Amino acid sequence: MPNYLCMQRSLPRGDAEKPSPAQMQEMYAKFGAWQAKFKDNLVDMGGKLGAGKLVTADDVPDGPFVEVKELVGGYMIVAAGTLDEAAEVARECPGLVSPGSGVEVIEIHTP
Amino acid sequence: MTAPKLVEHFFRHEYGKLVATLSRRVGVHEIEAIEDAAQSALMAALESWRVAGLPDNPSAWLFRVAHNGLMGGLRKRTGRQRILERSAVDIGTETPQGEADVALAGEMRDDLLRMLFVCCDDAIPVESQRVLALKTLCGFSVPEIAHRFFTSEANVYKRLTRARRRLRELSPNPGELDGELTGEQYACRVPAVHKILYLLFTEGYLSSHAELAIRRELCDEALRLAALLADHPVGRVPETSALLALMHLHAARMAARQDGAGGLLLLEEQDRDRWDAHQIQAGLEWLARSAEGDVLSRYHAEAGIAAEHCLAPSFEETRWEKVADYYAMLERVAPSPLHRLNRAVAVAEWRGPDAGLEVLEGFEPPTWLAGSHLWAAVLADLHRRCGNTRAAERYRGIALESAPTAAVEALLERRLCATPGAEASARR
Repeated sequence: MPNYLCMQRSLPRGDAEKPSPAQMQEMYAKFGAWQAKFKDNLVDMGGKLGAGKLVTADDVPDGPFVEVKELVGGYMIVAAGTLDEAAEVARECPGLVSPGSGVEVIEIHTP
Repeated sequence: MTAPKLVEHFFRHEYGKLVATLSRRVGVHEIEAIEDAAQSALMAALESWRVAGLPDNPSAWLFRVAHNGLMGGLRKRTGRQRILERSAVDIGTETPQGEADVALAGEMRDDLLRMLFVCCDDAIPVESQRVLALKTLCGFSVPEIAHRFFTSEANVYKRLTRARRRLRELSPNPGELDGELTGEQYACRVPAVHKILYLLFTEGYLSSHAELAIRRELCDEALRLAALLADHPVGRVPETSALLALMHLHAARMAARQDGAGGLLLLEEQDRDRWDAHQIQAGLEWLARSAEGDVLSRYHAEAGIAAEHCLAPSFEETRWEKVADYYAMLERVAPSPLHRLNRAVAVAEWRGPDAGLEVLEGFEPPTWLAGSHLWAAVLADLHRRCGNTRAAERYRGIALESAPTAAVEALLERRLCATPGAEASARR
């Protein structure tokens, strides 16, 4: 099964309310259920992305990269038969696809 | 790997602990920054734990993250100097205090309990105290509180703002953290703490909320905090025991008060096998402890009534004379026309409907009671059983009209519909 890179992107106009502690507990439980359901697909749970730097041949300041830093919240790698299957795994991940957040799913070609 | 399960209400209760402990550390006047830090720490936990798994000590993890976040934020805002002064006081050795208070304040190790006393400040209106306690100690959000109290979020927010304003005003005396209570203040606030816990409990118990789980949650929170209070010398008084007794004895009957469809059931319709024997046992133990000392509070009387109901093998075999006595006692220690009304009901079961009506004879109910479904329903029932059909019909109309919810209306309809004639024809 090919691997897919899933990148969380914050979407504009996503003024989602802060979840309450009770809602967080619910999200935690749902996340556990999702992990159990797709345990064969979840290759690397990845993590949140922090500060970054664009390294190029030219001495370019990391101007445009700032936007990317703000847009990409985190990543993970899933294994799936097809792009649509990978997208389904990501779609069902609690909280990932919501009013303020979306996910970009990209196939990783291995030689 | 799969995220391990967390105990029920873990996030809510950790939120309460974080707010209480951070309030003691940096002073309750920073309540807003503290609540933000607690919220952010829980969010960070949610992000991190589901990927990396639970840390060895989740509470310590949360505290570290919340504390660092709070300190970082405060440092940014108020400048390094003031914070350094303050942390010397809070993280270092014991806070210097007046001699008499050292012993007690030193014993107030339980930050949650301390925070409960902070909430019960008589400069804060009771309604705001209640909202503040639910928000800071129980970790409910503003929408969740509004949902539980059948009120608007704006209203909850207004009450919360009022309470926070008072907390912000608490200015530190030299060498003392703001919001730190003296031993005397702790003792003075015990009745206010009882009242808040009682209100929280009855809000859950009597609420006409259709979801039993939601009502149960409020009762459980009240029980949790009351147990905390009883566990500490400052709260170890007969009233606390009586309060716990009445909470357990009411909680015992909670599930049986509803039918499968969420409708309310009358005491006489309830399946007594569904009453929770463990809760009854706990309630009776607290009731026995409440008799230590010569205090007789409203909580004692109410616990006594609840115990009579729990111990009665059936509705008919209830010792109504005891119940009527307790209501009379309740009227003496906490005068309320509602208690008179309840006594009339008990007396009617004990000595007949005429005797019940007699209790109410010459009694002018205040307008809030006269216009309520409770008053009208009791009178409708007593008159019906005395055969005063016209009076019964009139009160029945008022009762149905003023029923606050559909569930209550359905219950009244069922209870008050049975006219003597109908009963007779049903028997035939």
